[in-house]
Amino acid sequence: MNRVLAIAQNTIREAVRERLVLVLGLFGFALLIGSQALSPLALGEGRKVVIDFGLAGSMLLATLLAVFLGSSLLHKELERRTVYSILAKPIRREEFILGKFLGLWVTTSALLAAMAVILAMVVTVAYGDTPWSILGSVGLSVIELGIVTAVVVLFSSFTTPALTAFFGICAVVVGHFAEDLRYFASRGAPPLVRALTETVYWTLPHLSVFNARGLAVHGIPVEPERMLFALAYGALYIGGLMIFAGTVFRRREFR
Amino acid sequence: MGRERDDSRGKQTWDAEVAGRGVMREVAPLPVLEVSAVAKVYRDPMTLKPFTAVEGISLSLRPGEIFGLLGPNGAGKTTTIKMILGLTRPTRGTIRIWGREPQDRAARMRLGYLPENPCFYDHLSAREYLGLVGSLFDLSSGTARRRADELLKRLGLEADARKPLRKFSKGMTQRLGICQALLNEPDILILDEPMSGLDPIGRADMKQILREERARGATVLMSSHVLAETETLCDRVAILHRGRVLEVGEVQGLLGAGVIEWEVTVETISDAAAARLRGEGHRVDAAGRNWIVRVREAEELQEVLRGFTKDGVFIHSVEPRRPSLEEHFVRAIQESGAGRA
Repeated sequence: MNRVLAIAQNTIREAVRERLVLVLGLFGFALLIGSQALSPLALGEGRKVVIDFGLAGSMLLATLLAVFLGSSLLHKELERRTVYSILAKPIRREEFILGKFLGLWVTTSALLAAMAVILAMVVTVAYGDTPWSILGSVGLSVIELGIVTAVVVLFSSFTTPALTAFFGICAVVVGHFAEDLRYFASRGAPPLVRALTETVYWTLPHLSVFNARGLAVHGIPVEPERMLFALAYGALYIGGLMIFAGTVFRRREFR
Repeated sequence: MGRERDDSRGKQTWDAEVAGRGVMREVAPLPVLEVSAVAKVYRDPMTLKPFTAVEGISLSLRPGEIFGLLGPNGAGKTTTIKMILGLTRPTRGTIRIWGREPQDRAARMRLGYLPENPCFYDHLSAREYLGLVGSLFDLSSGTARRRADELLKRLGLEADARKPLRKFSKGMTQRLGICQALLNEPDILILDEPMSGLDPIGRADMKQILREERARGATVLMSSHVLAETETLCDRVAILHRGRVLEVGEVQGLLGAGVIEWEVTVETISDAAAARLRGEGHRVDAAGRNWIVRVREAEELQEVLRGFTKDGVFIHSVEPRRPSLEEHFVRAIQESGAGRA
């Protein structure tokens, strides 16, 4: 486990020192402060708008960070040949991939958590009460980020940064609308389209499971059962993707 | 395998009686590293056309020797090293490090590797990078820090230990490459073009370090283009060309005890004498106030010396000239049929 943590720590250092995290963090901070400007338009519902806007914006930025940092994660190592010295050491390729994943997940989750803290402070100062209900929503978003990061790491283990980013964004978009896709396909679509939709539905992650912003906005906490289900689903999905990514990376040849 | 002179089995010894029962037992030291009939064929991803990078290479490294892997560009040196490290898999053949597969963690725990033109994480400092390497070898943070400090000092990087690696010159990066390869005190050191990017002082330091590692008991496998330095450093070499081993053996054994010519340095000789010597097939060149006469055969040397004595020419010195590794290398490549690819 030490080796995995060493790779994870290095990935975090790299992300932080490349300043992308800082830039996105500042952007998010400005966004959250700026969201206060929307509250007069919300006809007395300013608190809800700020929380909804803040949670959605934070998640969007963290997802973008996962996709764009993750897409070049391995490509850069191969291009600069830094990976040669590392993989010649007593580390399994699966451990290397897992370390990369963990480092990226911790980085994106830290950005999300920092923005959630800022959101809570903005709401507390502006409306006089702390929105504790966002805790559950942020917790679910962290699991969702884990899945997005795992998807990106999987693609980066065998394809180019551009394709990785494309597939990562597709997975996020389709993952959020998997239920809707299946619903529309079931209503009179040709059999081939229905079969295709079913395949996509069962293959791609159901990211809507992790969306509890509606509850957070209305101050309703996430039920423990839902949290447990999301945790189990996330763990299984991430585990499956990591096994797949590890297998692909183990078979990779370094010319 | 060409003119292979692999004498790696030469040190097999026969043990005496075992438990007084008169049983003879062969005690062959376990090879440190054994590469057996290894081939690597790549396929073009678009056309699927095969390209053979390495074709049936066999090598066996003894404990505590410096082994040189020589060859022109495209000879298969780096591919062979990458297969030994498990970065790429052989299409055929086997590689064993103390009897273990290259992917085996226990085997890699005892390896140190310096890649060709190394590149490390430029967001880290030298000390941070060595800390990362220490973690991969399961070294405690105290041990890793102590060894890193010792190595940085030994390689002259102590003052730059906290500088980001993006500010390192090529030579400094090469020195850091040696630091990270030695951090685990390896039993096998694999170096791909270790002299690359180093100035003369750096090359001298590198040779000294490799000799010290050999004295410590480590086995060194190095690829190199710098043949003059390889000749003085390596115990044995393998000459590779187009993915095949042309020759393997001890440097002196490969070069042979033979003399390629004799250099006779004399004081001024007459033009007529010089013309006569040239007419007999010898090379005669002026060297300052002296003349050098190069004679190929020992019998002819006797004749030439007798002639000088008779003419009263003062003979300064008579020196045999043996072939250098570079000359031998060029000849081996040319004799293999095609010369440089």
